[in-house]
Amino acid sequence: MNFIFGEIAGILIFFIGLCGLMINKSILKTIMSLTVMESGIILFFITINYTPDSVPPIGQAQEAAFADPVPAALMITAIVIGIGITAIGLTMFMHYKQKHGITHWTRDREQQGRGL
Amino acid sequence: MKETNRSINIIRVIFMVVSVFIVLFFFLNYSEKMSRPLMDYFTAGFLAETGAQNAVAAIYLDYRVFDTLLEALMLLVSVMEVINVSWAHKEAKQYSLEEELFNRKDNSEIVIRMVGAIYPFVLLIGLYTIFNGHISPGGGFQGGVILATALISRYLVYPNSDLDLEKLENFEKLLFLAIVAIPVLYIFMQVEPFYSLISRQFYMILMNSLIGLKVFSGLSIIFYRFVFYEGR
Repeated sequence: MNFIFGEIAGILIFFIGLCGLMINKSILKTIMSLTVMESGIILFFITINYTPDSVPPIGQAQEAAFADPVPAALMITAIVIGIGITAIGLTMFMHYKQKHGITHWTRDREQQGRGL
Repeated sequence: MKETNRSINIIRVIFMVVSVFIVLFFFLNYSEKMSRPLMDYFTAGFLAETGAQNAVAAIYLDYRVFDTLLEALMLLVSVMEVINVSWAHKEAKQYSLEEELFNRKDNSEIVIRMVGAIYPFVLLIGLYTIFNGHISPGGGFQGGVILATALISRYLVYPNSDLDLEKLENFEKLLFLAIVAIPVLYIFMQVEPFYSLISRQFYMILMNSLIGLKVFSGLSIIFYRFVFYEGR
């Protein structure tokens, strides 16, 4: 049995992002981990109903079966919403950094500038 | 302090690996092949029902139009957040824009020439993707992103902030109003002069171009705000 296909890769990428969300202390890396989780979800969804030898769902029905258009239509909206979430997170991070001078979750103002 | 952090991180990684194996075990062993009623319904007669040859466009503009409405609202809200929550907006009085930083001209000659040659073709493929979104792969979202790429490459050539972002934001709000109003009139209330293939395709092209312009203005506002206001 072939174990490398899109759904398993999507689950693995999602958990890599979740792991980064739990381990990293930097706010910027938290936002990056959210983006990694989101790409894992997108990969899972667009490969969820894959059948071999299917054609794109454009035009009249042909001899081959159509690919599933429903996850593609859902993921179009998910990608744009992901852009919005990343922009909101980065803007709030910049505001927080300018106001309090903090770039990590676990540091106060005196502990800044220690690298990672 | 350092040791406890490391041990806690090791515990977290072990927890993650265990949960990955549990999820993959259940996914591989207990997931059942279901029938696909939504896909069968959507691909059965989308050309006759909606007038679009592209099934994805038929879904996000006709069958599941609420998705598109709320997604457009989400993009508008994020653009308004980027403009209004920004530090540069809050501290506008003590935050004077430095003119010489905004009007610099130290970019490469090769990039300027190449982007100037590519620029019309980027606009052309963006408009093609928008206007043919209902009969070929593409649509409003993808075409809007390609059009925004044209404006971003304008930044590479001419990195000055002479773009009126306020006007672009008001334009996006008007576009969102049109995006909400047209499906309400057309799909929910069935107000149309003649119900034929021509009017359905006209609706598809109109909605695709509105969504494309909205995504274009939203992404351009986000890019220019981040470049000029958040970069310090």
